[in-house]
Amino acid sequence: MNKTVTQLLVMLIALLLVGAAAAQTPADALEPNPDLHATLEIWAWQGSGVDTFADAEFAEYYPNIQLNYVLRPTPDTYQQIQLAAVAGGGLPDISNIEDSHLRQFLELGILHDLTDRVEPYLPFMNEFKWGHVERDGRYYAMPNDSGPVALFYRRDIFERAGVDPEGIETWADYYDAAFVIMEETGVPMWQQAGARNSGRLFEILMWQRGLGYIDEDGNVLLDRDEGILEILEFMGRFWDDGLALDAEEWTDAWYRNFDEPNVATHPGAVWMGTFFKSWIAPDAAGNWGVIRLPAWEPGGSQASNDGGSSLVIFEQSTQKEAAWAYVEFHLGRTASQVQTFIASDIFPSLETAYDHPYFSEPDPYYGGQVVRRIFTDVVQEIPEAGIYNVDYQEMNGLMAEQIQRFATGQVSASEALSAAAREIRSRTGRR
Amino acid sequence: MSQLRTTTQAPATPGVAGARKRGALRALWRHRWPLLFVSPFFILFAVFALYPIVFSLYLSFHEWRGIGAMRPVGLANYSRLFTDRIFWNAMQNALLLFFIYVPLMTFLAVVIATMLHGGFLKLQGMWRALIFMPHLTSMVAAGFTFRLILDTHSGFANRALTLLGASPIPWLDDMWWARISLGLLMIWAWLGYNTIIMLAGLQTIPTEVNEAAAVDGASRVQVFFRITVPLLKPVILFAVTLSIIGTFQLFTEPYILTGGGPMRATETPVMQIFSSTFANMRFGYAAAMSYVYFVTIVVLAIVQFRLVSRGDR
Repeated sequence: MNKTVTQLLVMLIALLLVGAAAAQTPADALEPNPDLHATLEIWAWQGSGVDTFADAEFAEYYPNIQLNYVLRPTPDTYQQIQLAAVAGGGLPDISNIEDSHLRQFLELGILHDLTDRVEPYLPFMNEFKWGHVERDGRYYAMPNDSGPVALFYRRDIFERAGVDPEGIETWADYYDAAFVIMEETGVPMWQQAGARNSGRLFEILMWQRGLGYIDEDGNVLLDRDEGILEILEFMGRFWDDGLALDAEEWTDAWYRNFDEPNVATHPGAVWMGTFFKSWIAPDAAGNWGVIRLPAWEPGGSQASNDGGSSLVIFEQSTQKEAAWAYVEFHLGRTASQVQTFIASDIFPSLETAYDHPYFSEPDPYYGGQVVRRIFTDVVQEIPEAGIYNVDYQEMNGLMAEQIQRFATGQVSASEALSAAAREIRSRTGRR
Repeated sequence: MSQLRTTTQAPATPGVAGARKRGALRALWRHRWPLLFVSPFFILFAVFALYPIVFSLYLSFHEWRGIGAMRPVGLANYSRLFTDRIFWNAMQNALLLFFIYVPLMTFLAVVIATMLHGGFLKLQGMWRALIFMPHLTSMVAAGFTFRLILDTHSGFANRALTLLGASPIPWLDDMWWARISLGLLMIWAWLGYNTIIMLAGLQTIPTEVNEAAAVDGASRVQVFFRITVPLLKPVILFAVTLSIIGTFQLFTEPYILTGGGPMRATETPVMQIFSSTFANMRFGYAAAMSYVYFVTIVVLAIVQFRLVSRGDR
């Protein structure tokens, strides 16, 4: 009897320890290490947030590692990596790479295999992120940030129209609300360029349902799934019914429409909120709110992803120990990720960071709503989807063109999808 | 090589070939300093032009992602090109664009050059500078400015049209209007350059011809069409040939103004090569494309040359 109680107690203590350990990543227990000597070169694009990494603390832990950042416009970063890779020299030790581009470099064989180093972090990161950096059971990058998607909406417009945002549970509800808002306020529901569509919203909506350009086997899915057809037809109704505002993304008109406001909602990733707050609509404090994405069917998935990035170490680097120390310190350590998030709103993939009280604080920009909690909920439910892959850029370009044709009434939704699928097959050799 | 063969196949005259060889060497040596001074050009040309040209040809028979092993694929890249809609679409765009802006631009260039040349205008230096100025402007800056002006919803062009009571034009949002907008940008940027070429050509036409025509009672318009244009034909031919090459090599202008859209209506051949290489990492395929474009440009230039010079015989 006594023995059983002792056994139970031991088990209980063990469980508690495991539970406590679960909230602690290996990097949280790092000790200062002055023995590592290196000068690391780190590439990233401007606005990637690496310039807000906890480098002051890093210098305390690794006083003999110097950091040399090279920040460039986004496309330049990738071209430079490509050119250096082709030239066989000139790559940095580390680079930040968007998940949309990562697979291309992974397949080139220029990324250092990080499997042994990142394995302890597998349970601590958003699960879907690992799919982007893995090949044949090996891992080639460490997840940095994620792009959980929710629905941003203008409180002022919804109030004027008398629409309760909390009542929007499905995309059908969203469509109905779009009509009411248009009738009451004359404001379109979302901004979606027709002839200049980028395909990003289409991807967000596919990702929400775990769908994508390709399935798990790498075969083209676009023309083989009813759900994808439903998504494109749904988008089409907004153009047909005049519920979409036609403005090209990332142009002055597009920014202004959010600020004026000429548009009622925006289905977008967490980083879009950062842009609203900091430079698109800084004066709109209190007028924006966030709800989770409407589901496709009641009780369906309300989580999607757009963007996100990881850090890689290049095979060419001769300072891999120091490079890993940098990557682990910034991406694996809870305190570092929390600090970066507070400084730049770059949303960590490291889930232990979400326990920090900052994530539960009300945000005055959203009228005191606890917005960050919404995104921490969303990010842990993001399904895996065949969007980002080695041919992503080509697929996105071919699909965007067909969406443009569909939006301008030249083809039907199913024609657009089969044309894109056909071209992707012929160009990439997929089935 | 051929000289070697000559010496082995014609043993009867070894002395002649040997002497010729020695003579060539001696000539080289005699001109060593001039040759040394012009060599940088040939070395740079070999490294940065000749080598890439030859290497691209080799590349076009392979599949290659930029690093790693090249996989020989024979003519597969070329045969795939012939069924590639996007490739032919870019070719077609270049042709359409050529017809949209080159005839108008060339005509305007001749007219403006004649006006500048004939002394109809005061302040000639100022007009010449003004007309050439756009060509000196950074194309990136000009492209962005045109993009702002032509924006369908908030651009200056449509605001002005609305003020005048006209309906706005989807400058960059419609396939045909986007091509026309690109043509406008091309004319704006290249009219001055073409005018200067024409102006140089006009200097070579003897003034007596014009004077004789005027004495015979020809009007200015008659002089222009009957004398200036025919005599200027070689220069016009030269300018149009440059425009053909320029149109097929077009990149910066559409890249900035339209990004190739909408619906690839303004995507040019070089943009296709660029995205095949740098976005899709299909180096071999892009090299094959480059070669097909090159052959096309040569053929077009020859055809145009034949068509125009036929009347001379």
